[in-house]
Amino acid sequence: MLYRETGDFKVSYRDDQQTFPIIQDRWLFWGMLAVAFLVIPFIIDDYWEKSIVLPFLVFSLAAIGLNILTGYCGLLSLGTGGFMAVGAYASYKLMTAFPELNIVIVILLSGGVTAAVGMFFGLPSLRIKGFYLAVATLAAQFFLVWLFNKVPWFYNYSATGQITAPERSIFGFAVTGPEATPAATYLFCLAFVTVLALVAKNLIRGRIGRSWMSIRDMDIAAEIIGVPPMRTKLSAFAVSSFYIGIAGALYFTVWFGAAEPTEAFGINQSFLVLFMVIIGGLGSMLGSFLGAAFMVLLPIVLKNIMVGGFDVLPVLAKHVEITLVGSLIIFFLIVEPHGLARLWSIAKEKMRLWPFPH
Amino acid sequence: MEPETVPQRDVLMEVRNITLRFGGVTAIEDISFDILEGEVRAIIGPNGAGKSSMLNVINGFYHPQEGEIWFRGEKRKAMKPHEIARHGIARTFQNIALFRGMTTLDNIMTGRLTKMHRNMFWQAIWRGPAEREEVEHREVVERIIDFLEIQHIRKTPVGRLPYGLQKRVELGRALAAEPKLLLLDEPMAGMNIEEKEDMCRFILDVNDEFGATIALIEHDMGVVMDISDRVVVLDYGRKIGDGTPDVVRNDQTVIDAYLGVAHE
Ligand SMILES: Nc1ncnc2c1ncn2[C@@H]1O[C@H](COP(=O)(O)OP(=O)(O)OP(=O)(O)O)[C@@H](O)[C@H]1O
Ligand SMILES: [Mg+2]
Repeated sequence: MLYRETGDFKVSYRDDQQTFPIIQDRWLFWGMLAVAFLVIPFIIDDYWEKSIVLPFLVFSLAAIGLNILTGYCGLLSLGTGGFMAVGAYASYKLMTAFPELNIVIVILLSGGVTAAVGMFFGLPSLRIKGFYLAVATLAAQFFLVWLFNKVPWFYNYSATGQITAPERSIFGFAVTGPEATPAATYLFCLAFVTVLALVAKNLIRGRIGRSWMSIRDMDIAAEIIGVPPMRTKLSAFAVSSFYIGIAGALYFTVWFGAAEPTEAFGINQSFLVLFMVIIGGLGSMLGSFLGAAFMVLLPIVLKNIMVGGFDVLPVLAKHVEITLVGSLIIFFLIVEPHGLARLWSIAKEKMRLWPFPH
Repeated sequence: MEPETVPQRDVLMEVRNITLRFGGVTAIEDISFDILEGEVRAIIGPNGAGKSSMLNVINGFYHPQEGEIWFRGEKRKAMKPHEIARHGIARTFQNIALFRGMTTLDNIMTGRLTKMHRNMFWQAIWRGPAEREEVEHREVVERIIDFLEIQHIRKTPVGRLPYGLQKRVELGRALAAEPKLLLLDEPMAGMNIEEKEDMCRFILDVNDEFGATIALIEHDMGVVMDISDRVVVLDYGRKIGDGTPDVVRNDQTVIDAYLGVAHE
């Protein structure tokens, strides 16, 4: 019974409303944060940066964004790739049009632009829900990718149709462009993820989060107790798109440094993020991280085991991966809609009672 | 017949000549009645009489084809349900409509949404104004939780609670809005005697202590006679009786239409 609430009495409502009400969770959180900021920057190399850490951080943000919309507000979206593209192209246009603008501001503004676009494409949600809304967001996905392919203004009339991120630095350290070191790009993304994850947690535990969840659970009752459906749904679209837009901007500026809409922001990306949210746990912050980690690591681990360990053909390894993800989606949708996060909390529940069975 | 002995009270709400149709079906036909400040007003009638529809009209969920509603001395303009909630009308539902994925505490906290005003910026920061506001409202909600004796299920997702407790949580959520007028749609349906007694006590206490005016739909005549000040009787969308429980009980039309026949 090392992990427990017993003996850790809450003496005020303020204590009871903490981000991590259980003391062990708090330690774990601070411990992980310390490692993330103080240890990893010194050991990170190119491979870890580009294949594991940046993908994990960027997709965590995207997953938090989609989770706010789908997991907390109950509005299904298949437009994640398109909204990431909006963030990426907004950051590109801002960086090229205003070279003096600080990269942090560029990224935040890109989130803001995506929030506005997201709200616009969220307007149908006032009328339709479920399957029909998913189709409407799918239309947004295709439209946005088409737009960024077709209108040369977005890629500054470049011959290839690609966009490339110019070098930008903070405190003298390059964070975009070829000169950026793994430690710099990592810390840059980590700072965004840390702050934005805390902000998301704050929004979710208060008035706004409860209004989202009330719409998700029973929209009619929510309206009758005074939740304005239009404002609430649009705010979910705005906040969600803000996060996804920032993910898209980091994806383009920091992680890849270049992008081409069909490849980088296609429908596959929308599904990838949706799978992260489903496997990680709908309506759970922790789930967004677990889902992102899982989907980023799964192909790498499988490849290492199968191709590296057993000499299986890479193509076959890819098929196994797809099959496995598919089965897991079905498993989680049917058996455990709250995903890995729920499995984790069941494990904690057990630990809390251990060694007594009840 | 003895004269009505209702104490002199102000009119809180008056519905005038309401008619509500769904296509060819007339759910409510030319009904008028009033609800006095501070009273417990029961609405009774057989299944399909139009009782729930009447509550839906009052809280703006249905829009009647004809008639007007006067609330606190003013004719009410066409409003969305969430605006009406902000004007001090709360309700519970015949089929429980809780937020199943949320805890008891969060459900009731959601009931206070109309009273919380910190914008997204402060919410995002949390420390400071947003947190203070949260604690303030948490205190009110904890008083409601104490009052309804549901402390032990504070952190339980409501989807896992038994029916009787869910009904209680739903009452709590409505109370959290501190409504002037509280609409209860069959708050005791499906409960056993004990649960019914508890619920009656809560309703009377809400009326006394929270000062809420109550309009409730109830099929159990014993309960209606016990706790209501005045009763409206509906049948096939029309009003066939209105008065104190005693008057209504002895009214021949009402007896013929409703009380005489075995119900449910
Ligand atoms: N949304 C709707 N669409 C069509 N008809 C409706 C609708 N709501 C109610 N009705 C009809 O209006 C009539 C009155 O229904 P209502 O639910 O108000 O009855 P009630 O008095 O609450 O009955 P019960 O005791 O069974 O709850 C019924 O004939 C019902 O079928
Ligand atoms: Mg009814």
